Amino acid sequence: MLSALIFIPLLLAVAVGLVPERVTARGLRVAMLVASSVLFALALAVAWQFDAASGAMQLVERRPWLELLGVSYSLGVDGLSLPLLVLNGFLTLVAIGCTSPTLERPRLYYCMLWLLNAGVVGAFVAQDLILFFLFYELELIPLYFLIAIWGGARRSYAATKFLLYTAISGVAILSAFLGVVWLSGAPDFSYSVGLGSSLAIEPQIVLLATLLFGLAIKIPIVPLHTWLPDAHVEASTPVSVLLAGVLLKLGTYGLLRFGIGLFPEAWLEIAPVLATLAAISALYGAFAAIAQQDMKKMVAYSSIAHMGYILLAAAAGTELGILAAIAQMVAHGLISALLFLLVGIVAKKTGTRDLNVLRGLLNPQRGLPIVGSLIVLGVMASSGLPGLMGFVAEFMVFRGSFSVYPLQTLACIVGTGLTAVYFLLMINRVFFGRLPDRFGNLPPVQWHETISSMAIASLLVVYGLMPSLFLDWSQAQISTLVPRVIAPQEVIVPVAISPNQSDL
Amino acid sequence: MVLSPISPSAHPHAELVHRLERGQALLAEGGTNLMEVIGVLKSYGIVLGEYSRVLKDIAARQFVSPFPVFKFFEGSVKPAQLWRHIIHDRINFEYAEYCMKSMLWHGSETDFGKYVDSDEFAANADRAIRAWFRSNPLMRAIHAIAPEMFLEQARQQAYYRNLGQFWTVMSDIFLKLSDEYDAGEISSATQVSEFVLAGLQDAAADPIYYTLSIRGEDYDLVPKSKGFGFLMDAGVPYVEAIFFRGTPFLGTVSYNAQAFQISSNPGEFAYGALYADPLPVGGAGIPPTQLMQDMARHLPNYLSELYDGGTRGRGDLLIKICESFQKSMFCVTTAAIWGLAPNPLTTDDPQQLAENREYFEGWLTRLTESRVSRVGYTV
Repeated sequence: MLSALIFIPLLLAVAVGLVPERVTARGLRVAMLVASSVLFALALAVAWQFDAASGAMQLVERRPWLELLGVSYSLGVDGLSLPLLVLNGFLTLVAIGCTSPTLERPRLYYCMLWLLNAGVVGAFVAQDLILFFLFYELELIPLYFLIAIWGGARRSYAATKFLLYTAISGVAILSAFLGVVWLSGAPDFSYSVGLGSSLAIEPQIVLLATLLFGLAIKIPIVPLHTWLPDAHVEASTPVSVLLAGVLLKLGTYGLLRFGIGLFPEAWLEIAPVLATLAAISALYGAFAAIAQQDMKKMVAYSSIAHMGYILLAAAAGTELGILAAIAQMVAHGLISALLFLLVGIVAKKTGTRDLNVLRGLLNPQRGLPIVGSLIVLGVMASSGLPGLMGFVAEFMVFRGSFSVYPLQTLACIVGTGLTAVYFLLMINRVFFGRLPDRFGNLPPVQWHETISSMAIASLLVVYGLMPSLFLDWSQAQISTLVPRVIAPQEVIVPVAISPNQSDL
Repeated sequence: MVLSPISPSAHPHAELVHRLERGQALLAEGGTNLMEVIGVLKSYGIVLGEYSRVLKDIAARQFVSPFPVFKFFEGSVKPAQLWRHIIHDRINFEYAEYCMKSMLWHGSETDFGKYVDSDEFAANADRAIRAWFRSNPLMRAIHAIAPEMFLEQARQQAYYRNLGQFWTVMSDIFLKLSDEYDAGEISSATQVSEFVLAGLQDAAADPIYYTLSIRGEDYDLVPKSKGFGFLMDAGVPYVEAIFFRGTPFLGTVSYNAQAFQISSNPGEFAYGALYADPLPVGGAGIPPTQLMQDMARHLPNYLSELYDGGTRGRGDLLIKICESFQKSMFCVTTAAIWGLAPNPLTTDDPQQLAENREYFEGWLTRLTESRVSRVGYTV
């Protein structure tokens, strides 16, 4: 079933290129919506089959692949990857839903979108280090094209910057993977918890630092963040939704899966530095957001700040902290997707995202009142108001981290307060006051333009009131993700896979 | 049309001054202005008919009732009627009350306002209040302890009656105007103003009075013999209170009265219908929203079709109605300004022309900050 989640998008990527020219962009979009609905349903089916009570890797698929290189086709899902898998399925559906029906070069666009989807799914379920790396790299190429072709005025600059940063990120991650396998003497690249524990602490720290450097670019962590605001500002709305909602999570997923998983002891050594970086990211992102005049850039910097919370929770390494990191990944995925969607609608209707120009959009008759209301809800969730999903995640982050890193946690709490500051500035400027005459004839917002946002907003409320609905998936997994000193005998040395071995 | 022999006006709104002198309306001619004005006045006429009926009924039936719960029901409370009221399938009579209160607040300088503040009115009201509470000792006791309380309510009832009478006439004028338009008799905004002026002049001397019947006995609170007339004691105060002064209700502007953003002199208020920004209409706490909602229920087909053709279709219907309504109010204001002019517009006497010029310039000075800058020049 996990293979289906990878190969169906790959097949769709090929198939969409073969669609005859007579099929319009509108018709193609409908077909893609149906396909993404099926894939989302498949992701839900995986969740349905998933045994939340078991802390083990599930739906495991193992096949020999490049045996000479020690690379296997090994997939599996656990409480860490499952929420992200479902989130990816959902946000891909949302992204296609908010794609313009009159898009230019739709075949290439959807081809890239499916390649991206396959890369992300593959990265989340890969249980082989090289396989993860390949999927991680695979998503880079379509995303580059998605920004470079369908982006804004400075799309070329933003896409190239993204490509360079992420390529360096990939090199660092690959170096760390090669290092840990070769130095530990593992027979292949299969992932196993504590694989690096057999090494002395110094090489562990070096390898972990290399890995973290690569992942910190992806997350991104200050000062390696500069590609993100440019990428968001230039990317189209669906790409921003996927970028913030899912792709950044590859970095934080990597932290928990490989940072802690491969180097639990070194993680404990390096964690204070990470916690401090998290606090810097949270505060820098927040202050930078306050200074922005572009709505989308403000949300992008907010993303940087909120990703810092995930790093803080992961650095704390407590059970609650790890669970909080997963919760914050999902919460941020939904909240940022919602905000980017809505900012996209504002920009589409008004032709601008400039906070110095926009005013009065909550005007009930001629403004964008539903969009404004949903943004207010998204902003409340992002600011961690109780009753919404953001509160659950952020409260867990702070509760799980305070006992370990009180100062860094306090700094992040200040960051949360600043979230309210910059987002209220945005709300006040964009939605209150008198609607300027130049916006007196805005085209109306159709129901299909807001249905995705309404679905996400509903999830923010439902999960805010009943967080166990998604936390239950991960709770049993937490103990295996907590960084600790692992005894040599606990390390499961991967065994060579015979050609016929498969758990399918 | 008479060409003025006096020198051109130097007023910032000289073009509009000259237009008034020539007997032309303040509203610019052309475009869809005429259709909007007539269509919206037709729906306004229907709504005013409803408002006026209920206002007069409240004055007659409720008077000083301490808990007038069913005051909008005109004496018959049926389950179906109650249900429609609850689900708001009804006219917003609250807007009529809002206008009545505006007249009450701004009316203290008028003859009618002075009369309801007089001892004579207080004595009339006292008799009526005692008769009203004849079989209610508790209320009689309260009236004895706090005589100003029910007296103030009686003053308010006098305005219910005054506005009810005024709107009855205006409703008829607007509906007749619509009929004339449908018959092809009206083809310009100026003709609209002329029609309204004629209607106002016809009714100018109609008495404004308030006689209350309690258990078969009549009580004259505002006797006919006081000589209050339709034009000077209802029309002019209404235009002053609703078109010009209005009330600084919250919209997109938050007023800080403590910072003297609102004048302590109500005479300097400029929040009325001619000054109001239509954009906030549709929001909560904005009284004209209620009027626009009411008019939206009675739009003639041609106006509905015009509105449906806009970018937002019916999505911004209330604002469109408000914009058209504002245009129509400038036609009515034109009629009122003509009606109160010191000399006939047709005069050739330079002295009278100069007096008229000064008079018109005075109005336009007052309207400088109004929406006349938009509706007077462009279509």
